[in-house]
Amino acid sequence: MTERTITSSAYNWIDERLGLSELAAFARHKTVPVHSQSFWYYWGGISLFLFLVQCFTGVLLLVYYRPGAEAYESVRQITFVMHFGWLIRSAHAWAANLFIFAILVHMFSVFFMKAYRKPREFGWLSGMVLLGIASVFGFSGYLLPMDELSYFATKVGLQIPVAIPFVGPAIANMLRGGPEVSEFTVQRFFALHVVVLPALFLPLLAFHLWLVQRHGNASPPSEDAKPASERKSIPFMPNFLRKDLAMWLISLNILALLASVFPWALGRQADSLVPAPAGIHPEWYFMSPFEMLKLLGNVLPGEFGEIAGILLFTLGIALWILIPFYDIGKESGQRARAAHYFGLLAVFALLATTVIGYWTIR
Amino acid sequence: MNYPFWNIPYLGSGWVIGIIAIFHVMISQFAVGGGLYLPLAERKAMRMADKQMGAEWLKQLARHSKFFLILTAVFGTVSGVGIWFAIGLTNPEATSTLIHNFVFGWAMEWVFFMIELATVAVYYYTWDRIDPKLHLKVGWVYAGASIATLVIINGILTFMLTPGDTWLAVAGTGHEASKFWNAFFNPTYWPSLFLRACVCASLAGIWALITSSHIDGDKHPALKTSLVQWSVKWLVPSFVAIPFLMIWYLMMVPESQRALLSLGIDTIGAGTFSIITRIALVIIVTSATIVGVAYYLAYRNPVEFNLSHAMAVLLLALIATGSGEYAREMLRKPYVIGRWMYSNGVRVPYVARINQEGYLVHSEWVWNSSTSSYSRGEAIFRGECGSCHTLSGYRPLKTLLAGRDQANIGSFITMLHDYKPDSPYRRFMPPMVGTKQDVDDLTNYLNAQVNPPAPAKVLTAQK
Repeated sequence: MTERTITSSAYNWIDERLGLSELAAFARHKTVPVHSQSFWYYWGGISLFLFLVQCFTGVLLLVYYRPGAEAYESVRQITFVMHFGWLIRSAHAWAANLFIFAILVHMFSVFFMKAYRKPREFGWLSGMVLLGIASVFGFSGYLLPMDELSYFATKVGLQIPVAIPFVGPAIANMLRGGPEVSEFTVQRFFALHVVVLPALFLPLLAFHLWLVQRHGNASPPSEDAKPASERKSIPFMPNFLRKDLAMWLISLNILALLASVFPWALGRQADSLVPAPAGIHPEWYFMSPFEMLKLLGNVLPGEFGEIAGILLFTLGIALWILIPFYDIGKESGQRARAAHYFGLLAVFALLATTVIGYWTIR
Repeated sequence: MNYPFWNIPYLGSGWVIGIIAIFHVMISQFAVGGGLYLPLAERKAMRMADKQMGAEWLKQLARHSKFFLILTAVFGTVSGVGIWFAIGLTNPEATSTLIHNFVFGWAMEWVFFMIELATVAVYYYTWDRIDPKLHLKVGWVYAGASIATLVIINGILTFMLTPGDTWLAVAGTGHEASKFWNAFFNPTYWPSLFLRACVCASLAGIWALITSSHIDGDKHPALKTSLVQWSVKWLVPSFVAIPFLMIWYLMMVPESQRALLSLGIDTIGAGTFSIITRIALVIIVTSATIVGVAYYLAYRNPVEFNLSHAMAVLLLALIATGSGEYAREMLRKPYVIGRWMYSNGVRVPYVARINQEGYLVHSEWVWNSSTSSYSRGEAIFRGECGSCHTLSGYRPLKTLLAGRDQANIGSFITMLHDYKPDSPYRRFMPPMVGTKQDVDDLTNYLNAQVNPPAPAKVLTAQK
């Protein structure tokens, strides 16, 4: 038998049992529209890549990180003693921030291209849950080094769940493992960060990717309006994948640049007896909700204000998540315009409250 | 010292050179690589069996040569003169040493610059106006002259890292120029020349991708494919040879300088000079990324290759070039001219004398040296620390010394002054030179910056 026939018979043997041909056909099925807005199609892939980077660097950190009372010391060793430990930690932390940023860009591009419309509602919903889990990933990971900044920022951050009426304080206590942020909190956040969240995230991510593969990328309404002869598209495999790989390389390069030139610092060990240093604030992706609640609290002081703030905030998020069930039309009617303005309002509110938040750090 | 101090707050004077130099290197190395690219591409087009395609190539090359002319002959020359201004102001002592040694070298360099400027203009303005064979010859003359400029400046640049024992033996005697060729063909000359040649070729390909990306892929798919793919091939020599050339280069660098590369392997602690390791990582990753991105975006997708893609590759090249030049500068620490002059302009054999007679006595342009300790300290700070540090900004002393009191700052400066063989700072910082009084003056000045005295209560009249 020639080499070729050996390979093909081996392929056939596996194919009969695992259905490789079907998989290959499924992979070939997806096409990507080519138009002036195609740039935004890369952001889902970039988010995925940054997630993979975090899995890889996270496993390496896991080898040396010790949760609990020794948390700070182990991170100190990773940063200042181990060979290239600082690089792995910096890459993990920077990738986390870039990951959230990439997801946000991805989400808004999906929103404004109206890619949540039929049949992609589940893509939108699963994406929103993935963003939610990603932010909890960020929040739980931030505490793990247990330095001054992460300790006090977590303390401040846990004020958000506390504001939920009735059950808020109980949830916060459960997360903290007591009334104060302590080594028990680190232990809980660690379990959340490396076991619970990945267990939730991975299957959902697989579902999300399966949906993307099934339905392909959506064209923006302006493209859909064109006659079929004027629309261009390229197969995902291998044409768009090659471009995706180039974008992944560029993302990796930006990550390497940030991690090397601005390595992630480690502050002093957290000490609950020391007063909080000046300028403690939540991470940038929590700045907006934090500031919104603060502003609402100023407008409507007291407990009523807190509850009203939370309700208003929840309503806003619910409207955002449920947008595929409101903006259903194919044509750009009144509902489509309303959804578009809602999106612009969300971008404006997010940016404005983030800027105000940083502006008013004390 | 012999010249006034050029104080650039926040940014630091070194970065003034750095910013101009990175910009200049991106263009000047294109001038060399692109100088070879143009006649080689022109020759290829003239020999093509498909005459129609050859003519299209030549039309595109004429457009590329306009871009080349404007970029290299305008921005390249202006930024080159800018470097002269910047190094003369930032490090006049080192510039003086270079001029005294290499005035003949620079004279040759400028002759070739003149040839370059003349031929590049002739080359661009005579497309379709003179015999094509003669036009190609003009291109070859330009290529020869531009390669000659690299061959010369490389000797001067590498001299600063590795002046070589022969030159060092006559340094300070007034007969330095007698060892011109030894200083010129110094230990790192050849590896550096080949390294830069590879980078020049890569930049020729990368800049050509910018102009090639403008070709309409729908109307001229064959032209765009052939030009984009041919330009990407200019990255191949770098991809193959640079890892080996880099090893050769580092082998020729003194062990003490090579050791700087390993300082950041296990730490990012402040004041540990871990930056070279980190920047070296950026160089390696970015170089690999450029090749990968050029392959996927340009070589495999030439027809769809657009300006944004080309700009992405160019920006990556800027990161790699900037990091490379920065690392090369840092690799010289604590010297600006290896083993002869410290990075703050103090000549190595003068240290003992200055320690005895005082730093300000030898600083010709400081006329108020007899005033307060604070003022003397400020002058010493500008002269001895200012070439690498700012107060608050780049390598900020206020941050680096934060948390220390006066006694602690004093003992730190004393440690830099004593410069004992086991001092960790010896690996990358010059000694603090001067008398005990100079140490105290600098301490007073820095302490006043790090721990400013509480503002005196001002009594104001109440209405």
